[in-house]
Amino acid sequence: MSGVSETGVNEADAGFVPLASSGRASDRAAAVLLPCGFAVLVLLGWEIGVRLTHVPTVILPPPSAIFRSMWDDRAILLKHAVPTTVESAVGFLLATVLGVAIAVLITYSRPVRLALYPNLVFFQLIPKIALAPLFLIWFGIGSSSRLAFAVFIAFFPIVIATASGLMNVDANMVRLCRSLTGTEWQIFAHIRFPAALPYIFGGMKIGVTLAIIGVVIGEFITAQAGLGYLIIFATARADTTVALAAIVVLCIAGLLLFGLVAAAEHLVNRRYGVR
Amino acid sequence: MPASAPEPGRALIEVREVGKTYARRGVPVVAVGSVSFPIFDGEFLTLLGPSGCGKSTLLMMLAGLETPSSGGIMFDGERLSGARRDVGIVFQDATLLPWKSALENVLFPLRILRQKLAPHRRAAAQLLDSVGLAGAHDRKPAELSGGMRQRVAICRALVHHPRLLLMDEPFSALDAITRDQMNLLLAELLERHRRTVVFVTHSIREAVFLSDRILVLGGRPSGVMADVRVPFGRGRSMDLGDTAEFNLLCRELRGTVEVAHRIAEESPQ
Repeated sequence: MSGVSETGVNEADAGFVPLASSGRASDRAAAVLLPCGFAVLVLLGWEIGVRLTHVPTVILPPPSAIFRSMWDDRAILLKHAVPTTVESAVGFLLATVLGVAIAVLITYSRPVRLALYPNLVFFQLIPKIALAPLFLIWFGIGSSSRLAFAVFIAFFPIVIATASGLMNVDANMVRLCRSLTGTEWQIFAHIRFPAALPYIFGGMKIGVTLAIIGVVIGEFITAQAGLGYLIIFATARADTTVALAAIVVLCIAGLLLFGLVAAAEHLVNRRYGVR
Repeated sequence: MPASAPEPGRALIEVREVGKTYARRGVPVVAVGSVSFPIFDGEFLTLLGPSGCGKSTLLMMLAGLETPSSGGIMFDGERLSGARRDVGIVFQDATLLPWKSALENVLFPLRILRQKLAPHRRAAAQLLDSVGLAGAHDRKPAELSGGMRQRVAICRALVHHPRLLLMDEPFSALDAITRDQMNLLLAELLERHRRTVVFVTHSIREAVFLSDRILVLGGRPSGVMADVRVPFGRGRSMDLGDTAEFNLLCRELRGTVEVAHRIAEESPQ
C-alpha cells in the first residue's frame, strides 16, 4: 500500500507546483524584469522620438511632460479622480449583488431560467455602450444615470459567470447530499456557492473594468466632474498633456479597484482554494 | 453452482417486485423490469451485469434518490420513501469537495446531518489512518492520487456509521494494480467496520473476491438472472484468485453475464 501512496504523492507533487516558483530564482526575476524593462524602453523611445522629431505637444506630449503635469495638477486630478472611482466602485458593487442574486434565481427557478438566460446571453452581444445616451434620458444628468449605466454594463458578465458556476456542480456531489437528507439550502451553502466562487470572481474581474468604462462614458456625455469630464474638457482646450495625465490617473484608479477584487479573491482562496 | 457457505441472517432490506420505467424523449424506457430479492444484514451483495441492466438505477432506488415505478423496498421493516440518514454512498469518481482537506471531506456527511464535528474528529482521523492516509489528513484532493481520493471517499461513506453502504463501480476508474489494492483494503476495512454493502461492478473477479452473494442482472426487461452465494469466508487474501474454486466460480458467472450481454446487444434500448 505504501508503494501506491509514494507514487501518488510524487505524481501529485509534480502536478501542482505553481508556475512562478517552478524555475530558478533567475527565471522569477526575468518574469518581473522583462515586462517592466520593456515598458521603460517604450517610454524612453517615446520620449526620445518626440524630442527628436519635434512633434507639437498638442499632438503628443513626451512622457516626462505628462508626469510633470500629474505632479503639478495633482489637486485637480485628485478632485476629479474621487467621483469617478467612487461611482465605479458603487456601480460595480450594485452589479455584483444584483448579478449574483439573479444568477441564484436562474439556478433555482426553471421558468426564470428559461425566460431570462437566453435573453441575457443575447444581451451580452449587444454593444451596450450605444445605449448610454438613453440612460441620460431615463435617469437625468446626475450621477444616478452614470451609476445605472455602470451597473447595466457590469452586470452581464457577473450574472452569466455566476449562473454557470452555480449550475456547473458535480451531480454526484448533490446526490450525496440528498442521500443524507440534506436540504437545498445546505446544498447551496456547502456545494454550489463555494464551487461557483472562482466563476463569480472571474465575472467580477470583467465587471469591475466595465463599471469604470460605464462611468467614464457617462462623464464623456454629461458631467461637471470626474476624470471622463476632465479628459473631454482638456482635449476641448487642446491640453493633450492634462488629458493624458487624467488617463494615467484613470489607469491607476482601475488598477486599484481591480486589485481590491483580486485581493478579495486571494482571501477567499485561502479557505476555498483547491490547493 | 457451489454449495452456499455462510448462513444468511435476517433480511435488512426486501426488494419487492421493484420496477423502474422512465421517459426518454417521450418514449418509456424500462430500466428495471421487476426484481425481488432480500439483502441480508451484514452481507456483501454485488450487482453484476452489462451496462444498462439497471444496476445503478437499483442502487439509486436503494439510496432513496429514485422512486420505484412499481413495487417497493422495505428497509428494516419500513417502506423506503426517500433518503435516509443511515446510508453511505461511494461513486465511481471520488466526488470530494476540492477546497476541503481529506479530513474535512471525511467529516462532510456529519456537517450535512447537522452533528457536532469535534467529537467525531478522532474517529475520522483514525479511519483515514486505517486506509493508509495517515500523513495526508490536511491535503486537498488535488494533492492526492486517484486511489487516495477514492480511499477518502470510502472513509466519508463510513464516518456516520451507516447501516447500508452503497458502492457504484467505485474502483472502475482506477488502474489494475491500484484496483487490486483497493479490493484488499475494502475487504480489510469491512472486517473492522462490518456493514451491509451493495456493490455494483462490471468486473466478475472483483465481484467474486469481495462478495458473500452475487446477483447477475440482465435480460429484457431487466431482472435477476442468477443469485449466487460465494462459498468463501471473510478474511480473503489475494492468493484466493489463484485457486481452482475461485476461477471455476468466475467462469460460471461469466457464462451467465455473457448471456446477459448478448440479450443487451440484440435488443438495445
